Formats: sequence, structure tokens, C-alpha cells
Amino acid sequence: MPDFSLIIVLVIALALIFDFTNGFHDTANAMATPIATGAMKPKVAVGVAAILNLVGAFLSTEVARTVSGGIIKEGDGGVLITPELIFAGLIGAIVWNLVTWLMGLPSSSSHALFGGLIGAAIIGVGSAAVDYNVVASKVILPALIAPLIAGSVALIATRLAYLITRRDVGKPDGRGGFRYAQIFSSSLVALAHGTNDAQKTMGVITLTLIAGGFQAVGSGPTFWVIAACALAIAIGTYTGGWRIIRTMGTGLTEIKPAQGFAAETSTAATILASSQLGFALSTTQVASGSVIGSGLGRRGSTIRWSMAGRIVLGWVLTLPASAIMGAFAAGLAQLGPIGIVLDMVIGTIVIMALFRWSRRNRVTHNTLLNDIDDAGRVVNIQKTPRRPTRRDRKKVSL
Amino acid sequence: MIDWSAFLVVSGASLFSAALLVSLYSFGLRLLTTAGRIPLVEPAEFTGAITVRSPKKAAKEVKRARKAAAANPLTPGVKRLALYAGYACFVLCGVAVLYGVYLIVPALHR
Repeated sequence: MPDFSLIIVLVIALALIFDFTNGFHDTANAMATPIATGAMKPKVAVGVAAILNLVGAFLSTEVARTVSGGIIKEGDGGVLITPELIFAGLIGAIVWNLVTWLMGLPSSSSHALFGGLIGAAIIGVGSAAVDYNVVASKVILPALIAPLIAGSVALIATRLAYLITRRDVGKPDGRGGFRYAQIFSSSLVALAHGTNDAQKTMGVITLTLIAGGFQAVGSGPTFWVIAACALAIAIGTYTGGWRIIRTMGTGLTEIKPAQGFAAETSTAATILASSQLGFALSTTQVASGSVIGSGLGRRGSTIRWSMAGRIVLGWVLTLPASAIMGAFAAGLAQLGPIGIVLDMVIGTIVIMALFRWSRRNRVTHNTLLNDIDDAGRVVNIQKTPRRPTRRDRKKVSL
Repeated sequence: MIDWSAFLVVSGASLFSAALLVSLYSFGLRLLTTAGRIPLVEPAEFTGAITVRSPKKAAKEVKRARKAAAANPLTPGVKRLALYAGYACFVLCGVAVLYGVYLIVPALHR
């Protein structure tokens, strides 16, 4: 099918760009806390994150199989979805991502991807094209449940960390030592990110190859696909790092080393366990859930409900909104070659705008790191109730 | 149909592993502190991100830690035991992480 080749190359290129922006956007998730608490030098942190994203992408293919083989039915009765529709879905996802980014709404690039694909499939083939069972059990439910799991795990882990290291008031408790632990926990988060997020792109490319007839139905990603996705996400992570370094001057939510360590361990554990079962969840949402949970694990913490509501709204909104975008793009693609060219033009403009925006000098606190940092601000933590009195100190110095 | 048990597995596995790692590391820190080797952290150099301590404050903290260590009522033998136990906790924590990675990568155990 030589006439298919051009569109397939286009889809692959677009998917890799999506992967790149994913890494670009998400370096912060893994590395913001260790940089903020001073555990790692920014340049080292960014380099480590890039390498671990690369390694993580090679670890497993379970999530990629969910994307390529489960969500969109391509089984009996021939292949239903065409590369054009996948193309439209990707355009929809990228556009939605940009919109939320500019508006400072917390959203998930993974859910944008799925939303776009599902929307495009429904418009292009009809609602029978989507396997709602798989969508519900491997995308929607994990999306809702995984942040809750991560949050409660982080809460318990934070409690444990503080309980175990608790000492009398004024006595050195050595909690600063958690700072070194964060080097490892944030590395695990980077690894988990590479595992889950790079696989989504692999899944999309494999789906395209299957739809184009280059690969057998139900087969997993081939080696070059895995390698390409791993590279794209690693390069994205590395190039995204400079933004974090710049943000350091603007201040972050205060996260104590013990808390950060507990949150990151929970994030990594949840993502890795889910990847193992093929759940395609959003790493950003899981990380946000953990940060909130670990904040609640500290003494004297209260939730700021308005902030929490905003975050949850972003979580819930992404899938349907990007589905509409994908459906719109698919509708254009149905017009034939002209529609695809139109889609491409719109997509290119959007991508150019994205890079123009990110290159601009006005990197504010609001446009960066916003997802995790917002999550950190959901929880309000009171300062330590009182300073140790002279008598306390005397008692302690025994 | 929706596989609810998968969610139970995910929450159980992540709770178990996160709690295990965090507890091991915390016990390690606790034992180090008990042994009188209080981990002191260098003042961070990134302004704005965290509260930066002045060298004076840092020196004060070092002094405080040394004082606390000197006032430690434990005998040297017990201290050494605590120190080794602390190191053992850190090693166990590292082993647990490596085992977790081993479990995740299918290529390693087929």
C-alpha cells in the first residue's frame, strides 16, 4: 500500500512529537522536588531524568498493547480505523494540550491522547469502533482511581516516615537525611514516567502500523518503535529541563524532604504497579494525588477545597474535551486529502505556537510546574505549633 | 467485564512497596540518629525554592547535633549496633528497590 505510506510517516512523526512534548512537559513531575529541596543539582537531575526515561521505555510493553490492541476495535470484520483517523486524533490531542497549557489548567497529556483517538474513531467509524469495556477498565477507571490510590498510599507513607523519625521537641531528628533518599525516589519516578508514557506513543504508532496493514492485528510494538519512542521522550525530558532551572528563582510550594520522599515513592509504586497491569494512567495526576496525600499526612494540614476542585475539574474535563477536538479533526479528515492538509496546517500552527510560547522569555510560575505545584497548594499546613521553650531544651540536652 | 481485582492488586502492591521502602529508610535514619551520626544537610544554594539557612544557622545546627550526640546515654557498643542496624536498613531498602525493578522487567525473569 504505497499510497498509505505518506500519512503513516506523518502519523509517526506527529506521535513522536507528542512524545517529545510529553517528556518536555513532565520533567518537572519527577525532578521538581529533589531540585527544590536541594537534593540534586538541577543539571544532574535533568540528565538523570532523561536517561531513566530512556531506560524506562524499554522495560515493558503492557500499556502499549492496551493502546494498540484494546481500545479501538480492529479485530473481526477487518481493520476499522484508518491512519487518517489516528492522525486526526493526535491533532485533537495536541490542540487540547496546548489550550490547557495556555490557560494554566491542570490536564493530562495521556488522557488528551486517548480522548482524541476515541473522538476520531467515533466520528470516523461510528461508536461501534470503540471497545468501551477496555476504555472503562483500563483508561477511565484507572484515571479516577489511581490518583486516589497514590494519595492514600502517600498519606500512610508520610505518616510512617514522620512517626518513625519522631523525637522529642528540639532534639535533632535527622529528617534532613530524607534529602538523599529523594535522589533515588525521584529517579524511580522518572523511570516510571518513561515506562508508562513512552508506551502510549508506542501504542499509537503500533496501532497506525496495524491499521496500515504493516503489522499483524494484535501484535506488540517492534523494536525500532520502542527505541524511537524512548529517544523522543528522553530528548524531550532533557530539553524541558532548562525551564525548571529557570523556575527555581520563582519559588515552589514548600515540600519537606520526608514528605517529598514519601510522595515520590508512592507515585513510583503506583505507576509501576499499574503499568504492569496495562493501565494507561496519567503520571501527572498520580503525582498530584501523591503530593496532596503526603501533605495531608503531615500534622496540622487542611485542604483548600477551591484549589482541589480546580484540579479535579481538569482531570475530569480532559477526556471528553479532547474527544470533541479529535472528532472535529476527524470530521475534517473525512473530506479527503484537503481535509488532511487542513488538519496538518492547523496542527503545524498549533505546534509552532507551542514552541514559540515555551521559548518566550516570560516563563512564569503559572505556566510551569503548575500541575504538581497546584497539588502542593491544595493542602494547607500550619507551621510547627510552638518553638521549644528553654525548659524543653534543657530536658532534651540530657 | 471490568476487572476490579486488578485495582485491588495495584493498591495493595503500591501500598506494600511504598510503605516498606519508606519505613526501611526511616528506620535507617532513626538508627543513625540514635547512634549519634545525625545526617546533617548542607544549606541549599537555590534561593527562593526553599528556606536557605545562613552559615551561622548551619553552624548552630552542627553544634546542636554534636551536643546531642555527646549527651547520648547509650554505650559505645549499643551505638555501634544501632549504626550497623541503620546501615542494614539502607541496604535492605536498596535491595527492595532492585527486587521491585526485577519483578517489573519481564525480560529478567522468564
